[in-house]
Amino acid sequence: MASTSKDVAVNIQDNPPDDLEPGACPESILNPTDSFEEFASEMSSSLQERNVSLPSKSSTIYEIQSEIGETSKETSQMKATKSSDDLQTKDESMSASTSNSNLTDQNGDDTDNEKDDYLQSPELVNKEKHVFILSSAGKPIYSRYGNEDKLAGLCGVIQALVSVVEEQNQDILRSITTKDCKAVFLVKGPLILVALSKSNESETQLVLQLTYAFNQIVSVLTLTQLNRIFEQRRNYDLRRLLSGAERLIDHLLIFMEKDPAFLLGAVRCLPLPEKARENITSAIQTTCNKIRDLVFAIMIAGNQLITLVRMKKYTLHPSDIHLLFNLVRSSESFKTAESWTPICLPKFDSTGFLHGHVSYISEDCQACLLLLTVQRDAFFPLSQAKHTIAEKLRRSNCLVAINDALHRNEELPTTNPLKHIGIPEIRHFMYKCKSTAQLFSSDPISLDKLQDYRTRHKEGGDITVKKIERLSDIDYVRNYREFCSQIHCTSTPAKLIFRSNSNDTVLAWVTNGFELYVTFDPLMEKDHAIKAVDRLLKWIKKEEQRIFIMHAPTF
Amino acid sequence: MIDVKTKIYSFFIFNSSFGPREGEELQRILFYHPSQTSADTQKMQVGLCEAVVKFMSTFSSEPCEALQTQSKRYIFYQPEKGYWMVLVVRIPYTTKALSAIGESRGDVVDPSVMYDLLKSAYKMFRMFRGLFKDFPIEEIYSVCDQFFTPYITSRNLTNDISDVIQGINYLPLDKNSFFKVLCFIDLLEVNYPHFKCISFIYNEQLIWNGLATHDMLTLYQYLVQTLLPRQVAKEIQGGAVAAAQRHGRFIHPPEGIHNQEDLQKLVKVHLMREDDSETKQYYLVIYRTLSATVCFTVDVTVELEFEMFRSLDAFIGPQLSSIASTISEQCTIHALQTAQLAASEHKFVYFNRLNLAFKTSPPPNKLHLSTTIKPEVLSIIASIHADKKNLGNYGEIIIKTPDEYWITGKASNEREFYVIIQEKNANLKEIADEVRRICEAQMKGIFFYPM
Repeated sequence: MASTSKDVAVNIQDNPPDDLEPGACPESILNPTDSFEEFASEMSSSLQERNVSLPSKSSTIYEIQSEIGETSKETSQMKATKSSDDLQTKDESMSASTSNSNLTDQNGDDTDNEKDDYLQSPELVNKEKHVFILSSAGKPIYSRYGNEDKLAGLCGVIQALVSVVEEQNQDILRSITTKDCKAVFLVKGPLILVALSKSNESETQLVLQLTYAFNQIVSVLTLTQLNRIFEQRRNYDLRRLLSGAERLIDHLLIFMEKDPAFLLGAVRCLPLPEKARENITSAIQTTCNKIRDLVFAIMIAGNQLITLVRMKKYTLHPSDIHLLFNLVRSSESFKTAESWTPICLPKFDSTGFLHGHVSYISEDCQACLLLLTVQRDAFFPLSQAKHTIAEKLRRSNCLVAINDALHRNEELPTTNPLKHIGIPEIRHFMYKCKSTAQLFSSDPISLDKLQDYRTRHKEGGDITVKKIERLSDIDYVRNYREFCSQIHCTSTPAKLIFRSNSNDTVLAWVTNGFELYVTFDPLMEKDHAIKAVDRLLKWIKKEEQRIFIMHAPTF
Repeated sequence: MIDVKTKIYSFFIFNSSFGPREGEELQRILFYHPSQTSADTQKMQVGLCEAVVKFMSTFSSEPCEALQTQSKRYIFYQPEKGYWMVLVVRIPYTTKALSAIGESRGDVVDPSVMYDLLKSAYKMFRMFRGLFKDFPIEEIYSVCDQFFTPYITSRNLTNDISDVIQGINYLPLDKNSFFKVLCFIDLLEVNYPHFKCISFIYNEQLIWNGLATHDMLTLYQYLVQTLLPRQVAKEIQGGAVAAAQRHGRFIHPPEGIHNQEDLQKLVKVHLMREDDSETKQYYLVIYRTLSATVCFTVDVTVELEFEMFRSLDAFIGPQLSSIASTISEQCTIHALQTAQLAASEHKFVYFNRLNLAFKTSPPPNKLHLSTTIKPEVLSIIASIHADKKNLGNYGEIIIKTPDEYWITGKASNEREFYVIIQEKNANLKEIADEVRRICEAQMKGIFFYPM
């Protein structure tokens, strides 16, 4: 749900304003709710609580619509027609339900053998992480690798495991572990999500990834529609409604493995000179302040936030922004034409769609502008606004600034921060300002790098034992996973971890205001490390206007 | 103390190949605790575990280790192919700080402790009964019942570091005293070639070991946790017997050896001695004088004569009591020395994976519960201990918890050293310096990185 700026004020009080942590500012554009805390409250419920507490929250979109003086009739009618349309197109031939199949019956079954054979096929074997999504009736919806049609047997087993634990033990299945593999189960509404991972991610981190995958589905359908479909037809084959969304989930999974933004629950901003960001923001403000039902105007580039202008009272949760990043990165079509698309932002309002005008600023600038409104037929006024904004940006030289940052112009201090800070012992770092949920790391991703990772991933996802010569940025982030999970461990949290071995020295440090992870050379002396961190924080403070968004502009 | 009886929800052993067809599910269950559980529940629980094992086998070549539900943890151990031991423990899925769940101190168990409990149960079974697969099908149910029922109900776990890291307490001796022990063992083995000395224990501390390390830990745990406490209780009860004990007696079999018939009561064990290449069967003979306990093995092929044992008794008795007094003097001196050292209020633990040597800071005062280690801290130590790769061959980790505990772990090859310091307003450097001082004072001559 959307949170009001009141929350932000409460969060800020922990840090007196005269002693702001680097990057902290009096008002945040993002809702800095900690995803780990949310996870804790969500996962602590017992089976009974979970069944009772399925959401009946009020709709934020409805709230906005009534505020700007419209009745909600139109939207609700629209929603109703839309979902009934979908249901009519549904195929009538449903295969038999596997829901109540007995576990022991399946052992040694014919179908079971076939399934086993397929699971051993090269498409599926030796993968670092599998993700399966199925309906609570056991129907396959998504598999990261292979063809989910052939995985009906496996999905039947997963569904049976989940339901045996629920029905016969009155309990909730959470995870299964072997020495090298973790299976994590998440039941969300009418869906069952499973991750099978041989990576070093913790159970909590895997559950968060599954929650993201669920949110990605919600973002295409809305939670209301998802629930309604399965209330009407338990056996429904959801893949009919999700065509295209598989690709989004594929990309999201890769994105989550690579980008520390997910590890930290924070958003990365494109480093820009303060003036340039101000100009961009005011260009959007002045152009859009007459469009009264515009909720958010968001400009992004290369999975980084450039600016976000919002309707007063409403903030966005980092995870909603991550879904927008993913949508834009995964959709080539936005590059060629202005698009008008319904988007549900699950944390903002999971019950309904916002309507988005999505387009790239210009052919020579890879920044993408999203204008999100509650108005269903606002394409033309928004398109008009976009062109005005693009023109203003070009005139004020902002496009050049964005391009410089995106292409990592050598002259910018943020292009190669480690060189600019000048502490040779630091190999890598990442920093999160907690009150604004923004992060900065020593390796601002550039577009080509992300592309490279994606093509590499397409070939594989396989586990390979490679000889490490020089760690890539992704490897550093991988290393931080264990530290993150210890710092945020729900039962035995830590405030500071200093680990030194023959490979490297890592310092993980969390305070009320920030989280910091630094990798040093091996055998680093503690007092040197302390001094280096001190200098690092001073540098971040000095550059904070450039690397963070320090204002929370509204229309 | 953790109440094992309320923590353990159930404990069972199954082998799916024992009742392969439908309707034969009960035959797969070799043992089920608590035994009054209904047959349907037993079948259902075992069925779930079978399914979980099978499910994971499609994704991993490693055997299944744990299943976590909202309220319980199922811990799996497959000691022999097809034989699965499962311990179901009430450990909730953790989403809050341990202190916030309201779990009273000492009530929280680290999962690794429970896994070790399962492993120790099997090793004990293997030492005193043998391999599961060596039993014919019709016998295995009753063998398991006779062994595991008393075992599981008699287990006591203290929420202590010694349960998180299982090791052996060695007794440091000066050269002369140690030489006396060695001479005694050599002389005995020369005079009585059938008898092989496999361990020499003073109080609860090991002086001499003649077994392969993994068997040594099991035998040591049997002596220290089961046999000796009973024996000591007996000794305290019967004050009059004390005079007779000066010259020692056989305590295994527990009634002693007084005639030829008593020899039938000797227990057979499956052990691997230091110079054995495989596990063999031996008779286990244990002799005790004052606080010294000596264990012998006799090959099962040897024909036992009562005369042999009587003469052995006459030989060991006086010698052992003299050695025991020497060691006792040594211990007094040693205790005085450590008393001076133990001024440090910080707890430390030393562990060597090679010989399982385990040393910890002396308990300051057992009456003060506040000085026991907090479960959160124990759990952090358990995770450092479990993840050996993390520190590599040499390395150091310092973790600060929200309540101002600083936990330091150091690793150097197979050796580990942990220090727990509670200190407000300290910084990394100060903690590292303090740890170095403790390391130098307590572990003189043992290298740890960084110096």
